[in-house]
Amino acid sequence: MLTACASTEPAQDTSDYDPLEPVNRVVHGVNGAVDFMVLYPAAMWYRDIAPEPVKTSVASFVRNINEPLNSFNALLQGDPDQAAASFQRFIMNSTIGLLGFNDVASDFGIPYRREDFGQTLAHYGIGGGPYIVLPLLGPSNLRDTAGIGVDYVANPLTWGAQNSDTAEALYLGSVGLTALHYRYATINQLNELQKSSIDYYAALRSLYRQQRNKMIRNGGPSPEFAVEDESASFDFDDAVEAASK
Amino acid sequence: MVNSKIAISTAAMIAIAAAWSGPASATGLSSNIVAEVAVETSAANVIQSMADQAMNELTDQSLADDVRRKKFVSLMDRYFAMDVVSRFVLGRYWRSISEAEIEEFSVLLQNYLALNYANQFKEFNGEQFVVGDETQKNKDTFVDSQFVRPDGPPVNIVWRMRMFDDSYKIIDVSIEGLSMGITQRDEFTSVIQQNNDDVGALTAALKAKTGL
Repeated sequence: MLTACASTEPAQDTSDYDPLEPVNRVVHGVNGAVDFMVLYPAAMWYRDIAPEPVKTSVASFVRNINEPLNSFNALLQGDPDQAAASFQRFIMNSTIGLLGFNDVASDFGIPYRREDFGQTLAHYGIGGGPYIVLPLLGPSNLRDTAGIGVDYVANPLTWGAQNSDTAEALYLGSVGLTALHYRYATINQLNELQKSSIDYYAALRSLYRQQRNKMIRNGGPSPEFAVEDESASFDFDDAVEAASK
Repeated sequence: MVNSKIAISTAAMIAIAAAWSGPASATGLSSNIVAEVAVETSAANVIQSMADQAMNELTDQSLADDVRRKKFVSLMDRYFAMDVVSRFVLGRYWRSISEAEIEEFSVLLQNYLALNYANQFKEFNGEQFVVGDETQKNKDTFVDSQFVRPDGPPVNIVWRMRMFDDSYKIIDVSIEGLSMGITQRDEFTSVIQQNNDDVGALTAALKAKTGL
């Protein structure tokens, strides 16, 4: 499943590969309990109390703090235009956008795009490998876990945090706000999914894979459908054939 | 497949009506008829008429929940290739159950989806559904659409359709790039796998959810 050799096509995983499932399900359960006690109530409170402008500002700040990494990874993926765009966004939003709390760059027509090292690896054809549920962080896979490690080391803010108290405060604050923002941004969908699903773990695993596929192909037209047709164990053509018998 | 026959005859009636109204200019008319029929059967038009019907029938707030769910199920009957969808979400396990069990499963699946999605129509307030372009890829036609909300960014929905007996049926829906069919297949096959490859465990879970 882990395609070690680099191909020219970005990797798109078409099925779940989960050899660590028993362990993953345990971590999933623990994460759920921790979430229920800490992050979930915080996100619910944030959802119901914080005014819209605050939420918009926090979302902008969280995106902005990630721009150096977006730029770095776009460059590694051989996309200097996107790297320049992310860098430009960072400069504009950090200055006239007041520390990133206002996304003025989007108003100037430079849209946000997230790029991380997991996507960079995928860009060079490396598949996700085994699914991993990380403690606290949740759904991931071997490739993306490695990506998180590289991004952590490459992040200028983490270097700064080792040398300056201000940078450390900014870094810790950004981690907290990022967690709060992403939990809030997904709260309604995850509540719905948890309520409706029969196997919440499996549904999340599938959605994580599809979401990563989408980010890897940068939201472009979905070759996923074509890929799904060719290599999935059971695809739409099979189903049509089965139904016509 | 009764429904598709109705759709075809509707198209035919429109064509006949068009022919009836102006028997004078024969040449200009024939192209008119072709255009009418083509418009009626395009994949994007099927989605549009489904959306119109859903907005008409499901958004009425005075509707009882179970009535809304029944209407949702009959909409699925009409517009979805349920025999294909049911087999798809079972993955390779569709082979391990009988034809009658697949039929039973299909009914459970529809009621399960109705349970999860029908109520969303109850809270409609100012949202708009806009049908966009269609693209042909291999055997399937993908119809783009947007769900435009008054608060927040629009949601992109892509309908995967295939032609059966001269009419388009939906075989998958993707919301923001996430395929509902694939998600459901991955979840359902996981449930079956966790229970020693017994499809009965999934059916039992669906029965418990839907109360059927």
